[in-house]
Amino acid sequence: MYAAHAHDQAHGDHAHSPGGIMRWITTTNHKDIGTLYLWFSFTMLMVGGVLAIGIRAELFQPGLQFWRPEFFNELTTMHGLIMVFGAIMPAFVGFANWQIPMMIGAPDMAFARMNNWSFWLLPPAACLLVGSFFVPGGATAAGWTLYAPLSTQMGPGMDLAIFALHIMGASSIMGAINIITTILNMRAPGMDLMKMPLFVWTWLITAYLLIAVMPVLAGAVTMVLTDRHFGTNFFNAAGGGDPVLFQHIFWFFGHPEVYIMILPAFGIISQVIPAFARKPLFGYASMVYALASIAILSFIVWAHHMFTVGMPAAGQLFFMFATMLIAVPTGVKVFNWIATMWKGSMTFEAPMLFACGFIFVFSMGGFTGLMLAIPPVDIQVQDTYYVVAHFHYVLVAGSLFAIFAGAYFWIPKWTGHMYDETLGKWHFWLSLIFFNITFFPMHFLGLAGMPRRIPDYALQFADFNMVASFGGFGFGLTQLIFLAAVIKCIRGGEKAPDKPWEGADTLEWTLPSPPPYHSFETPPVVK
Amino acid sequence: MGEAQKPGRATPLQVARAVFWSFFGVRKRAAYEKDAVSLTPLQVIVAGVIGAVILVLSLVTLVYFITS
Repeated sequence: MYAAHAHDQAHGDHAHSPGGIMRWITTTNHKDIGTLYLWFSFTMLMVGGVLAIGIRAELFQPGLQFWRPEFFNELTTMHGLIMVFGAIMPAFVGFANWQIPMMIGAPDMAFARMNNWSFWLLPPAACLLVGSFFVPGGATAAGWTLYAPLSTQMGPGMDLAIFALHIMGASSIMGAINIITTILNMRAPGMDLMKMPLFVWTWLITAYLLIAVMPVLAGAVTMVLTDRHFGTNFFNAAGGGDPVLFQHIFWFFGHPEVYIMILPAFGIISQVIPAFARKPLFGYASMVYALASIAILSFIVWAHHMFTVGMPAAGQLFFMFATMLIAVPTGVKVFNWIATMWKGSMTFEAPMLFACGFIFVFSMGGFTGLMLAIPPVDIQVQDTYYVVAHFHYVLVAGSLFAIFAGAYFWIPKWTGHMYDETLGKWHFWLSLIFFNITFFPMHFLGLAGMPRRIPDYALQFADFNMVASFGGFGFGLTQLIFLAAVIKCIRGGEKAPDKPWEGADTLEWTLPSPPPYHSFETPPVVK
Repeated sequence: MGEAQKPGRATPLQVARAVFWSFFGVRKRAAYEKDAVSLTPLQVIVAGVIGAVILVLSLVTLVYFITS
């Protein structure tokens, strides 16, 4: 598809930045910033994971074992906020930074200095979030959704969370502007929009979603802030406001946010599967159209998170139908991935294993989502562990597995070394097994009525909770295998060829491994 | 791959058709490649907004008939 790009490696590999720590603080290079994003998100994954282990330790047995109930709520809240805003989103921005310029034949991102600023806003935001545990009253315990009136009543930890969200939102918007500008203006000659790799397409659409909804979140939390400190009553019923308004605003952000966290995952899977099936992606056009469809539909389904809040039957039906429609383009994507594999010459290295695991487990999360879209069912299982199971199937087995697939897929390009395939396979199989041990029993717990965000539970839930906690500890420890695989790969190993994957055909594989400092100084020719 | 027709501006019907299929998430390759050379971003955005409004209105109508 692409003409070979003869790059003079010696010429390209000249960095102008200072060495040591200042290299990372002052860098404007897309690869350095991508690396920073990825390490940041892995760090936050570990922090959020420690909180999750705290949750599962408490739930290992009925009764209160370790934590005060208030602190348990802090754990669940901060686990959600840190995983969503600190781990998953920055990880995909890291992939975007590394990959988009290389995949479209550009030398770097469009706004290199803003790129630096986007990243360096994140560590202060993370410090605010983590630091909020140590202020009087502790971290916010309102749930990651920060519903009023809980969020208007919390201690100063809530203010820190609000400021952290403001900062992370600003970072996301700047990142999105950068990505859109890079994709629209810096593609290699001949690469029209319809020849872009699907990962780039997913990020183009995700970036628009980010710009559309991050200001909505910022508006919602700012209103909470002014309700808390400046005498407004947006969400205070006693003052003429409406706490349900917060839920509407939050979920108008929150549902597209779900797609912000899954569309780039779709993009990664759409790169990995063709490479290991050694076939072009089946139905590229349909994939692009399905992406657009999912993005549009994501704006008209938000109230399916609010069926139990009280809404007319007409409202319930509207949001049920609209939500179920999303199954159509999502089904198109799953069909296309499987059709890509059909009669392909498949091999199952770690990226492909994670991609197959993604399809299998993400589809289960999609089906439970469909069930939750039906109001009579949702009213039964609202705020139970069924919902917790659903969104972990989508976000862990969906987003996180795709992140691992992408990491193993591109790490030979990034580091110049092949990763340890044995470690990768162990990482995959243990992750898949422990993931299901952790979250599959939660379906049963939820159907049996166990409420989420409660540190104690009735005796009949004990066995499944013990199983889930066991799985959770295993899943957490398994991620250390990933850390070991990455560190081993960075430190050395078998030299990676320019194109370690036989079926990969995008532009980054025409560059040396590791690629030169400025990816494409001379734009490649795309036929 | 090699389409010979010159990239003229798409007719409103062609834009509507492209947006309809995008809502469904499926498109024939030939039609897609024709879209790629003839649709402008402005056309797609305007048609997409109109399409979203039509979708919402048709769902509201459907719901109205079910609940009435």
